[in-house]
Amino acid sequence: MNRATLTLLALLLVCALSLVAAQQRARKLFIAQERAQIEERQLNQEWLRLEYEQRNLSKSARIRDVARNQLHMVPISPERTLYLKEAQ
Amino acid sequence: MRPVGFSTTPNLVLRLPMWRSRLMLFLLFFVFMMLLLRAFWIQGPGNAFYEAKGVRGTQRELELPASRGKILDRNGQVIATSLEAKSVIAYNDTVPDDLAADKVQKLASLLQISEVELRKKLKEERKQVFLKRQVNPDVAQQIKQLEIPGIGLNNEYRRFYPEGEAMAHVVGFTNVNDKGQEGMELSREKDLAAHPGQRRVVVDRLGRVVEDVAIEQLPQNGKDLQLSIDSKIQFLAYNAVKSAVEEHHAKAGGAVVLDTQTGEILALANYPSYNPNDRRNLSGEQLRNRVLTDTFEPGSTIKPFTISIALEKGAVAPNTNMVIGAKYLVGPKPITDTHPYTNLTVAEVIQKSSNIGTAKIAMNNLSSEEMWDFYTAVGLGQSPNIGFPGAVAGTVHPFKKWMPTDQARIAFGYGISASLFQVARAYTVFARDGELVPLTIERSPEFKPGTRVLSAKTAIEMREMLETVTQPGGTAVKAQADGYRVGGKTGTAHKLVGKGYGNSYRAYFAGLAPISAPRIVVAVMIDEPTGGSHYGGDVAAPVFSTIVGETLRTLNVLPDSKVKQMALEERSPTEIRTANAQTQHMALKR
Repeated sequence: MNRATLTLLALLLVCALSLVAAQQRARKLFIAQERAQIEERQLNQEWLRLEYEQRNLSKSARIRDVARNQLHMVPISPERTLYLKEAQ
Repeated sequence: MRPVGFSTTPNLVLRLPMWRSRLMLFLLFFVFMMLLLRAFWIQGPGNAFYEAKGVRGTQRELELPASRGKILDRNGQVIATSLEAKSVIAYNDTVPDDLAADKVQKLASLLQISEVELRKKLKEERKQVFLKRQVNPDVAQQIKQLEIPGIGLNNEYRRFYPEGEAMAHVVGFTNVNDKGQEGMELSREKDLAAHPGQRRVVVDRLGRVVEDVAIEQLPQNGKDLQLSIDSKIQFLAYNAVKSAVEEHHAKAGGAVVLDTQTGEILALANYPSYNPNDRRNLSGEQLRNRVLTDTFEPGSTIKPFTISIALEKGAVAPNTNMVIGAKYLVGPKPITDTHPYTNLTVAEVIQKSSNIGTAKIAMNNLSSEEMWDFYTAVGLGQSPNIGFPGAVAGTVHPFKKWMPTDQARIAFGYGISASLFQVARAYTVFARDGELVPLTIERSPEFKPGTRVLSAKTAIEMREMLETVTQPGGTAVKAQADGYRVGGKTGTAHKLVGKGYGNSYRAYFAGLAPISAPRIVVAVMIDEPTGGSHYGGDVAAPVFSTIVGETLRTLNVLPDSKVKQMALEERSPTEIRTANAQTQHMALKR
């Protein structure tokens, strides 16, 4: 075996090992990405759920009930409304 | 003695036949050939099968979830949304037969089914059985904690409708597989539907995903849909109809609110209604969108159109005097009025809703063809093109088939049929100075040019006559709304029962407001009012009044009629600002 062969063999070994390392890193990154994607989905769902909840709290029927019964408000009527003219 | 080799001992010489060794040789050769061939097959042509097997061991197809589009109202408020829910599946070949009794009991109570029913489901022959679909997340968590082998949870979506009953007929609902069944959910299914994607991954021994192979199909979420409906107006219209139906012990009711400038449908309310969030009673009568799918004889609400044709021709003017009388004979049955009049002007014919007056104007001045043309031009007998499932066209028979008696009765709205929606649409002609506006249920808040069917002069004249209907002496004083000038026409139609008219009625009112610059058209229908009066002016007009007043205030439309105000002085914004600043100053000093 001459020197060239030995060098090539060493190179080959280094390449092979780095391939294994790269593969390992790729897998780790992939798992991290996968987790992040699942989290993204969960957050999206959470956002939709919160949006729905907010909507549920602000739906017309509830607002009417709260305004009438808890805050003792009355509907607007023109007799009690002062209409302002826009400034010229 | 010649030495004899062992093998050549004549006694020991076996006279084996030559063929046996040949056969042996051949057999060995043959078996090796078979092995070689097999190896060749596995490596070569038959390889695909094994490769697929290998892939199946390490690769999986995973679904990439996509969600159905949301439905929003004109202000961006959610009126239908999909949230994740779990479904409970039993893989019956994995579920142990000797499952602990307490686990079965717990599972049954979580699923809200009886133990017997659950056991029956677990015994079914099928490989997988849905135990329950769309369970709430907390229940799903508890089921997971039971750790029963073979009981799995699947992701799916469930549709929620925050506005519930008030919006039910507009939005419709989806089935358990997230497919639209009614309303906009059905008619816009193509846009709203979600298309889940698919990807191929490599999994390790424990089933964890370790590598992406390929995304075979990208997931596509459904598109969001924004309607022209205003949740607030829809809610108040629904409540106005609901309380009128309850007050008059009626069978049903409906109302439409249209924006005359943009052609948008602001509200479309029906009662009785249903709760689309509750899957148990999504069938039967209450699902009908009566405003669009029920046709009726529009009765007196058609009179303004008949008289408009005569005004347009110049055959009559609003102040033309007419002899009315108690009866008008056309055909076998005389036409009568609720109250007999001797003389009325054309404007008064509208104000008092005289059948005889309208029939006389039609018979003396109009041909059947002219009437048919105009009714068709305002959209009667044609299905409204708004992409709603089940919207009907109503009927206006071809004018060639009209007998004189038909013509006289059609003039005041009997013998033709239309939906409440069509009547409302036709009234945009008066609101828009003679133009019929194209309608839409999707948000598009820009001004829409219409199709001219009347001159502006006639439309404005008719609008003024319609206002007199709501003034003292008219048939619908109860239609007046605080602060706004309104105009419209009552209608009370005998309902057809079998071949004749029975003893039940439909009361309606169609009108527009404010008269000085019409912004909305509102049509109201109350079906079979029984307690007390059944006249449109008594039953439907008050609903119109409520809806108009509240809608115009919601839309911030300035009142156009004088109202008594509690405020004593009129102040300009500058004066108010100064006054506010002064009070603040005082407060700070203290």
